[in-house]
Amino acid sequence: MNMQQAIKMTAAETALVDAYTTQIGDLPGDGSVLSVRDTLVHELRTAGLPTRRVESWHYTDLRTLLRAVPDADPTAFADRVDALVPGSTVLSVRNGGAEVKGSLPEGVIVRSYVDSLLDGSAAAGLAVLGFDDAIGRINGGLVRGGLEIDVAAETALEDPLEIQLVQSLGQAHTRFPVTFGAGVTATVIERHLSTDDAESFVSSVSDVTLAEDADVIWIILQQQGAADTHLGQIRFDLGKNAKLHLFVINAGGKLVRQEIHGKTSGEGADFKLRGINLLGGESHTDVTFTLGHNVPHTTSTEIIRNVVFDRAKGVFQGKILVAKDAQKTDARMACNTLLLSDDADLSAKPELEIFADDVQCGHGATVADIDHTQLFYMLARGIPENKARAMLVNAFVAEIVEELEDHEAVVEALEGVISTWLDKHA
Amino acid sequence: MPAVQETIDQVRQIDVDQYKYGFETHIEVEKAPKGLSEDIIRFISAKKNEPEWMLEWRLGAYRRWLTLEEPTWARVSYPKIDFNEIYYYAAPKGTAGPKSLDEVDPEILKVYEKLGIPLKEQEILAGVEKSKIAVDAVFDSVSVVTTFKEELKKAGVIFMSISEAIREHPELVQKYLGSVVPTTDNYYATLNSAVFTDGSFVYVPKGVRCPMELSTYFRINEKNTGQFERTLIIADEGAYVSYLEGCTAPQRDENQLHAAVVELVALDDAEIKYSTVQNWYPGDKDGKGGIYNFVTKRGDCRGKNSKISWTQVETGSAITWKYPSCILRGDNSRGEFYSIAVSNGHQQIDSGTKMIHLGKNTSSRIISKGIAAGVSENTYRGQVSAHRKAENARNFTQCDSLLIGDKCGAHTVPYIEAKNSTAQFEHEATTSKISEDQLFYCLQRGIPEEAAIALIVNGFVKEVIQELPMEFAVEAQKLIGISLEGSVG
Repeated sequence: MNMQQAIKMTAAETALVDAYTTQIGDLPGDGSVLSVRDTLVHELRTAGLPTRRVESWHYTDLRTLLRAVPDADPTAFADRVDALVPGSTVLSVRNGGAEVKGSLPEGVIVRSYVDSLLDGSAAAGLAVLGFDDAIGRINGGLVRGGLEIDVAAETALEDPLEIQLVQSLGQAHTRFPVTFGAGVTATVIERHLSTDDAESFVSSVSDVTLAEDADVIWIILQQQGAADTHLGQIRFDLGKNAKLHLFVINAGGKLVRQEIHGKTSGEGADFKLRGINLLGGESHTDVTFTLGHNVPHTTSTEIIRNVVFDRAKGVFQGKILVAKDAQKTDARMACNTLLLSDDADLSAKPELEIFADDVQCGHGATVADIDHTQLFYMLARGIPENKARAMLVNAFVAEIVEELEDHEAVVEALEGVISTWLDKHA
Repeated sequence: MPAVQETIDQVRQIDVDQYKYGFETHIEVEKAPKGLSEDIIRFISAKKNEPEWMLEWRLGAYRRWLTLEEPTWARVSYPKIDFNEIYYYAAPKGTAGPKSLDEVDPEILKVYEKLGIPLKEQEILAGVEKSKIAVDAVFDSVSVVTTFKEELKKAGVIFMSISEAIREHPELVQKYLGSVVPTTDNYYATLNSAVFTDGSFVYVPKGVRCPMELSTYFRINEKNTGQFERTLIIADEGAYVSYLEGCTAPQRDENQLHAAVVELVALDDAEIKYSTVQNWYPGDKDGKGGIYNFVTKRGDCRGKNSKISWTQVETGSAITWKYPSCILRGDNSRGEFYSIAVSNGHQQIDSGTKMIHLGKNTSSRIISKGIAAGVSENTYRGQVSAHRKAENARNFTQCDSLLIGDKCGAHTVPYIEAKNSTAQFEHEATTSKISEDQLFYCLQRGIPEEAAIALIVNGFVKEVIQELPMEFAVEAQKLIGISLEGSVG
């Protein structure tokens, strides 16, 4: 991409740049924060949104797909909803505005991200991950809310922490720097939903750090409206023996890109990614993942299950990088897809980039329709075809959720989300 | 699992410093002036006595090329090529169509002798045990000799240099040239279309099974020349042909460019088997010199039940950028890709395949084994796609790579694109090619571990090796001779 060459801006690009210029006095932060914002928006203006010529956006030509961006609507308002899992501590973010109130479990400190923007401490974190980090660029330029969460060392949270992002109309750009101290055990649910069917545009970046021995389950549940654009990104850094179990469930949105970028910084770190993409209608959903195994003796497994109905398009890009000295890395990635309509579309790019010689790395990818033998087996037992199909599809994705068997309430809630979605679309 | 000593030794044996085809031959040559312009293209075309349409075709490609930018997406890095510092035409003097082997410069014959390429028909005929192979020998920019032409003619097979074919069979060339790789295809293919100097042409008529293996041997000899050959193979309905290609170049400090285009057309029920043993000079141990191998190879399974199979053993070149592909257009057509890519020293390989499923009930199979040693980079890049109407498209892909040493890199970049719910794609890149079960089974029967590994690995490499015609398999095995245990995806 030639950064110098002036481009003719698309409607969406113009809307994003305008959103910045019209809000410039209101966006929190000055000095260093403002100068980072200026740079990011300038890059957006000169380089534009990424096209398929940018390798990491090959299957999601954002410049073409993002036709329009709704104006930021300061009067729009969204109501909070019940927690996904009863008993959770809910941190509510409504239309991009976070509230810091209510009681928090012991060891959890939450402050508004706006404070960090105002005092300039957020500036360094606003930098993009690379020239192709369009989400980081849009979010960094326009971010005006979010939460900074610190979980003190040795804290064991019994109930989940739900970051509830509810959206209605307009735009929201939020950030969540989260640090888990040594030995923390916690479950976090990052939940994105909209309260109506009107179009909205949302970008959200979570920046997660796990110290030594921290053991965290992080669930991203994206259930936005059928007209919404969702640009999500989670960055993570794993310390020694830290364990992160990341669940990404996409069950909504029109144009969705969820990026996951992580690295292992301490030996013994273990990362698990489990993804479920329930895709229907005319939606376009892209899950893009990169993981840097930077130190020896770290492990990761990734399993992505896609179910694609109607005219939906699904994309999975996964890249595992094993650095030169990261011997004894064990990394495995699988991407399985059920393509259930002839108008549906699925593209997968599972990549390995390996510079160490004593490692175990592998990936597998499959695309297929429902197994006819299995279907026949069920039909032969008198189960009607549509029901049999639904059961098989459900089993295909529910298998992933069952890995959380120690957290019964979470499993139940997620299974509920999946079956509700399948009832509606299958 | 780390590589065992035996493997490491075997890789060293084929180390770049031991490139045995690095000799240079001093013969008088005729060159076009350095650089690239419409005049040079006119010069090449005139040298080849080409008809007007061919010149226009070339000029069209050249004008297109001027508007293109060099691609940068491959995982290879090299200093910018100055396309005006290259000689686009170099021919040994006095080769304007030798009628027989006797007229060919004996120096050139010596080159092929040294390379072990049989050009003398009588010798081959005399040898009872050797099977017959017809050879088209391309030296720098021209084809110097094509053997067994007469015998092939009896079977109706046309096998000649593409320059001759343009003159003698213009109707076939015009019909098929550029129909698989159009002049607008990509930067290097477009350049090739403008300046290609020679290559082979094969036409196998309806229902004919080509009576012998056909082969081309490419040799770059002159300094600062680029070799741009163009190969066009057409298998008419029900025909079968097996084609082999070999390449070497002298050892030099400068990089040389090789940008070839190979087009295969398989009509109804036809089958083409294309095998390559690519051993261009890879550069020295410091990464100096070597061939830039930027090649576009594509097969079009145009007819029903047609089949195209690519087998490649890649050990040479400083940089390889090559994706032999199959367009599975005909219903029930099948594409295959078998590859072993070995990189050592400072070599960079970005290679793989594309299987484009367009017709109904098409199937494809990809087996790729990459081995990286030294400070080389070895990338598999492959695309499998099923279009809306490609009902029951089926693909199986397996790519494995092995790293020897911690200064090299092995990468896998598959693109899987399904637009049809009846498509069934399976892609896998597994780690340890030697399964513990197999190893245990051998050990349990008293076979020592090293021997067991060798045994299993042998069977494993055979998957690709056995796809090569006998004559090449031996050479390839010698060239590789490598165990593939401890591999990474």
